[in-house]
Amino acid sequence: MFIKYFLILSGLILISATAGRASAHHAFGAEFDPNRPLILRGPVTRVEWVNPHAWIHMEVTKEDGSKENWMVEGGTPNTLLRRGLTRNSLTPGTVIIVDGYQSKDRSNRANGRDVTFTDGSKIFMGSSGTGAPSDGRDPTERQ
Amino acid sequence: MTPAMKRIARNSLLALASQTILVLGAFADGPRSADGHPDFSGTYNIATVTPVQRPRVFGDNLLLSPEAADRMVAEAQARKVAGQQDSDPNRGAPPAGGDGSSGAAGNVGGYNSFWIDNGDTAFTIDGKFRTSIITSPKNGRRPELTADGKRRAAERRAFYRENRGDAWWLEVEGPGPYDGPESRTLSDRCLLGFGSTGGPPMFPVLYNNLKRIVQTPTHVMILVEMVHDARIVRLDSEHPPQSVRKWLGDSIGWFEDDTLVIETTNFSDRPALSMATRDLKVTERFTRVDDTTLLYSFVVEDPNTWTAPWGGEYPWPATEERVYEYACHEGNYAMEGILKGARILEAEAMTDSD
Repeated sequence: MFIKYFLILSGLILISATAGRASAHHAFGAEFDPNRPLILRGPVTRVEWVNPHAWIHMEVTKEDGSKENWMVEGGTPNTLLRRGLTRNSLTPGTVIIVDGYQSKDRSNRANGRDVTFTDGSKIFMGSSGTGAPSDGRDPTERQ
Repeated sequence: MTPAMKRIARNSLLALASQTILVLGAFADGPRSADGHPDFSGTYNIATVTPVQRPRVFGDNLLLSPEAADRMVAEAQARKVAGQQDSDPNRGAPPAGGDGSSGAAGNVGGYNSFWIDNGDTAFTIDGKFRTSIITSPKNGRRPELTADGKRRAAERRAFYRENRGDAWWLEVEGPGPYDGPESRTLSDRCLLGFGSTGGPPMFPVLYNNLKRIVQTPTHVMILVEMVHDARIVRLDSEHPPQSVRKWLGDSIGWFEDDTLVIETTNFSDRPALSMATRDLKVTERFTRVDDTTLLYSFVVEDPNTWTAPWGGEYPWPATEERVYEYACHEGNYAMEGILKGARILEAEAMTDSD
């Protein structure tokens, strides 16, 4: 019985998760180029807290020492706002790492497939007390 | 289990309780308007992990055991916790050629899970967990498409074939999917929310699942957070002539005892409900089932698309949360990126062919 339910639930969850992924605001596959993967490291310069998707601006230093400004696409800010987070939660100067794919228009835009701090921890996590998802790094969660 | 996971599990059980409703008939003691009708005004968060369409493994089984529901919630939570784990700070770029992600994530992935807000709980009706929102037909799935529906579905798949970097649409007769804004989807264009979030019928989606109802003696307004769609329902009214067509359809309503019935027709050629046509008719019902919960049910009829009517039901729990503005086109850089990217590919294809 346990195995039966496990299999059934796995199917249910898979379908539910897939349905969710298939229902983003717009098709990321139409916007970003799978043949242009990239990893970006650098400080945040500003955050555009706009719908339908927020954009994190950052400065990236290239190998030759020159600097480029990049924009990274996230999700709707409404979700974070509801959790008590604002555009000021990610302050300019904070160094982040982004992996994603460049926009098909070849501009300096990318999807924020994974956006983290330099230690690999997720940005916007660990904000205990705001209702945000927790990751155990906040001391108040270690009681 | 870490303290964080324990807290999530505890919150999830509390939330689970809040989504448990009892439907033994309408709840008569709720708030009423001056005209004596139930007053459904309020804000509701309809996010749920229960799927709209039933997984085939459940067959005709409408109900889910409490144990199975607990596991479903636990798995959903575990998936979110997993999405919050640290990444390798020394990671490189993702794979060239794409990361294999499907759907709208289109082989490039989306964004971190902290942007997702699709619910942590499964709902119950009459104290029993459900396997799906759709309850009719018995298998909990949309009925088979008509021949015309199948033809349109095939055309749609062909038209919206992915942009894989080769400007394939130049080789196809007729308009292409990247010709201009009008060829993109309604959600790309910020005209309607995705996933029939505003409907009708209205379904839970990936995030921004809040609805706000404002009821007056003559109208009921349903504000849908996603794309700030506002459905205006005229009470005790009639539909306009068939020549009048609207993105969200034309909604009229009336009370049957303590149930608000809403009938929507006069849709545009592209209703929010995927595959539906301008002949779509949706009948929705709102009934209060306790102090803080409405039961929402719907029936979909579109003989152009489906071989039979279909419908379902799920609870709308009240929330203290606020509906925020969703000015969709304010920062819609995606449209510019999609169209400009296609123009670049076309220019390259023309150069290559010279």
